[in-house]
Amino acid sequence: MAMILGPIAMQAQDKDSKTETVDIKTSAICDMCKERLEKNMAFEKGVTAVSLNDETKILTLTFKKGKTDKEKLKKAISKIGYDADDIPADQKAYDRLPSCCKKDVAPH
Amino acid sequence: MIKFRYIILLIVPILFSSQLKSQAIRGTVYEYGEPKPTPLPGVNIYWSGTQLGTVSDEDGQFSLAAPEDAHMLIFSFIGYGNDTLHVHGDEGRIKHIMNQILTLGEVEVSTRSKTAYVSRMSAVNTTNITSGELTKAACCNLSESFETSASVDVSYSDAVTGAKQIEMLGLSGIYTQMMAENMPNLRGLATSFGLSYVPGSWMESIQVSKGASSVINGYESISGQINVEYKKPSTSERFFLNLFQNQMGRSELNFNTKIPVNKSLNTMLLGHVSHNNSTHDGNHDGFMDDPVYTQYNLFNRWDYKNKRFDAQFGIKAMKENRNGGQLSFDKDKPRDTSNGYGVKLATDRYEAFLKTGYIFHKPATSLGIQQQFVYHHLNSFFGLQDYKAEQYSYYGNALFQSFIGNTKHTYTTGFSFIYDKFNEQLNDSVFNRTEKVPGVFYQYTYSDGHKMNLIAGLRADYHSIFGLFFTPRIHLRYSFTESFILRLSAGKGARSTNVLAENTSLLASSRRIVYRQTPQMEDAWNYGVNLSKHFELNNRELTVNLDLYRTEFINQVIVDRDSDINQISIYNLDGESYSNSAQIEANYEIIKGLDVTAAFRYNDVKMTFENALLEKPLVNKYKSLINLSYVTNLKKWQFDFTSQFNGQTRLPSTISNPEPYRREETSPAYTILNAQVTKYFKKWNVYLGGENLTNFKQHHPIIAAEEPFSNYFDSSMIWGPISGIKIYAGLRFTVE
Repeated sequence: MAMILGPIAMQAQDKDSKTETVDIKTSAICDMCKERLEKNMAFEKGVTAVSLNDETKILTLTFKKGKTDKEKLKKAISKIGYDADDIPADQKAYDRLPSCCKKDVAPH
Repeated sequence: MIKFRYIILLIVPILFSSQLKSQAIRGTVYEYGEPKPTPLPGVNIYWSGTQLGTVSDEDGQFSLAAPEDAHMLIFSFIGYGNDTLHVHGDEGRIKHIMNQILTLGEVEVSTRSKTAYVSRMSAVNTTNITSGELTKAACCNLSESFETSASVDVSYSDAVTGAKQIEMLGLSGIYTQMMAENMPNLRGLATSFGLSYVPGSWMESIQVSKGASSVINGYESISGQINVEYKKPSTSERFFLNLFQNQMGRSELNFNTKIPVNKSLNTMLLGHVSHNNSTHDGNHDGFMDDPVYTQYNLFNRWDYKNKRFDAQFGIKAMKENRNGGQLSFDKDKPRDTSNGYGVKLATDRYEAFLKTGYIFHKPATSLGIQQQFVYHHLNSFFGLQDYKAEQYSYYGNALFQSFIGNTKHTYTTGFSFIYDKFNEQLNDSVFNRTEKVPGVFYQYTYSDGHKMNLIAGLRADYHSIFGLFFTPRIHLRYSFTESFILRLSAGKGARSTNVLAENTSLLASSRRIVYRQTPQMEDAWNYGVNLSKHFELNNRELTVNLDLYRTEFINQVIVDRDSDINQISIYNLDGESYSNSAQIEANYEIIKGLDVTAAFRYNDVKMTFENALLEKPLVNKYKSLINLSYVTNLKKWQFDFTSQFNGQTRLPSTISNPEPYRREETSPAYTILNAQVTKYFKKWNVYLGGENLTNFKQHHPIIAAEEPFSNYFDSSMIWGPISGIKIYAGLRFTVE
C-alpha cells in the first residue's frame, strides 16, 4: 500500500511546492553524530527540514529547489565527516570527529 | 567504573510502549580474548528505548523477545562501554564481542533533546543537567546554573560580599556534598564563595542527587550531592569562546581549547576572566549593590588512555579580589570608624588532581585511584574585623570493583584518606586545626538489568578529633511497569564544621560570634521516596516526578541568630532538628519545540534554638517554578522563560532592636522572571537576556546601613534580590 502510494504522493508534493525532499544514506553512528549532522545541515543554504533516522542512518532533507540540489547536500555531508550515499567522508573532517563517531571503531 | 550509578546512568533510553511480537532473538556475547573470545556472563542486554531486556547466562547466551519497533540492541556491562547493535531480525544467532573501554567514573553527556532529566535506570534520584540546559540562562558560574532547577535554590548570603549559597531540601549548602568529577571539592574555606570558582562554560554537565548518596565518595553528603563534570579532551570542541556583558558592568570571558599530543594523550586548557567594575547603588543606602571584583581562573588537564590503563591529571589556579561595602570607604586611608565600612576578600586557590584506572582481564573488574591536593588562601576584612585563613587539603581514594558469581551482583570496596589543615585568624583569635580521616568502605550493587536495582553501602571512618563513626546507606529502585518507577533511599551522613568559613557572611555585621560550646561533628539521617511516572499524551511524553524527603539531625552545630541580637551563638543541637521536603515536578512538550517544566515544592524545616523548636530562618516554605523553552524548526532560534515564585520566610528576630532597626517577622512572597533569546549560527551563537524582569527588590537589605559601626549593623538579613533588572548579552563561538 505504502509502496504504491509513496511515489505518487512524493511527485504530487514536488509539483505543487517549490521544495524537494531527498533521502541520503550516511555513515552516522551515535547520537552525537545525529546532533552534529542535523545542526550543520540546518545551516546549509536552502535547507528547510533535516532529520536523521536513528536506525537506518538515512538523513531526510527538505530544501528549496534552485537554492541547492542533492549533489551539493551530499558534498556538505562529506565535509562534516560522513559518507553520503556514494560520496565518501572528507578525510580531514572525518579525522576531527570524536572517537565515538568514527566508523572504523566498533559501535558502542 | 568508579561510580556504578553513573554507569547505570549511561543506560538511559527514553521509553516507548512497545508492542510485543512472538519472535525472539538469540545469541551469545563474548569478551575479547586471545587466542579466541570467551563467553561473558551477566551482560545486560536490552532494546534501546525500552526496558525490555535480559541478562546473559553462564555461557554468555541470551534470548530476548523482539518487539516490532525495536532494532537497536544494547549490550551493557560494567567496565565496558554500552555497545549498540542494529538487529534486523533475520541474522539468525547473534555473536557479539564487547568493546572494552575505560570510563574512570566519567559521565557521558546525553545528547537527547531533554536537557535536564532523571535517569529511569538509576537507583539514585539524580537529575542530570546537561550543557544544553546550562545555556538556557546566563549561567556565568556554578552558582547561576540552577536558575531553571526546582530542586536547588540559590540565594545571596549577605548584602555586601556577593557570596551566593545553595539550598537543597531546605537545608543550607554545607549539607550538600559538592564534587568535581567525582571527588569532593569546594570544602572548607571554599564553602562561602566556591560556587563562583566554577565558570559556567567549563562545565559539561551537572548531576544533582537528592538524599543519601553513595558511600564511595565519603561520608559528608547529608541532603544530597552535586557533581560537576568539566569539559574533557575526548569530547569537547577544539576551540570555544564565550563573551558576556551585562548593563551593570559585569564582563566575562571564557575559553577552552584542546590539543591532541598523540593517539592516547590529549591535553586541554580552560581559561576564565571576569570583572565587575560597577559601584552601582540602586537602593541609595550608601553600599554597593554588588562588590567590585576581578577573577582569573586557569585549568590545564591531561588525559591518557590506552586499552587497559587510563590516567587524568589536572592543575587549576584561581585568583580573586573582591571589594565591597560603603562607597565612601577609601582603601588608602586607615580603616577606622571615620573612614567608611569596607569589605575586601583576596583569595588564591590552587588545585591538582590525579586519577588513574586499570581494568583487569577478568570481566567487570577494575581498580581506580583518585588523588587531589588543594591549597586555599583568604585574606579579608569586614569593616574593622580581620579574617585570614589558610587551608591545605589532601584527598585520596582507592577503589576496587568486581562481581560476585555473576555481574548481577557487583561490589566496590576500598579505602580513603582525607587530610585538612586549617589556619584561621579572626581579629586576635587564632583557630588552628588539623583533621586526618582514614576510612574504609564496601558497597554492594544488585541489578537484574530490568526491574530492580539495589545499592547498599557501609563505610567506617576514623576522625582524628571525633573518633570512629559508621556511615550506612541504601538505595532501591523498583519499576512496577516500564513507565512507573519507585525509588527508596535511607542513609546517614556526617561532617565536621568550619564555623567561620561557612558563615563568612555573618562577619559583615556588628554581631559577635560567641562559641557557647565546642562544635561537635554534625550527623543526620536522610530518608527519601521518589515516584516517577511517564504518560503518553498525544504521542508525546508527560513526565511526573514526586519527591518526599526527610532529614533528621542527630547533632547539628546551631548558628543562632535569634536568641541575642548582638551575637551569633554557636552551640550543639539539644533537641529536634529536621527538614521535610515535598516536591512535584512535571515536564511536557506542549507543541512541537515547546517544552514546559512546572514544579511546586513545600518545605518544613525546623530546629531547636535554646529549647524552642523554631522554623529555620530564611527558608521558603513554598516555592514554584515554571520554565518554558521554545526551539524553532532547525534550532536557529531558542526562547527561554523562567518564572520562580518564592514564598514567605521567617526572618531572624529583630524585636530587641530600636524601632527603626526592626524588621518584619516574615519576608513577603515574590516572583522572579528571567528570559533569554538565543540565535544560532553555524559556528557561533549570540544571546540576549534579562534577569529579574519584574524588577523586584528587597528594600533596605542592610540594617543600620547609615551607621555601620553601630551595634545594630547587619547585612545578612537577605531574602530577595538586591539589584533590579539586569540585561545581558553574549556570544559563544565554537570550532568543532
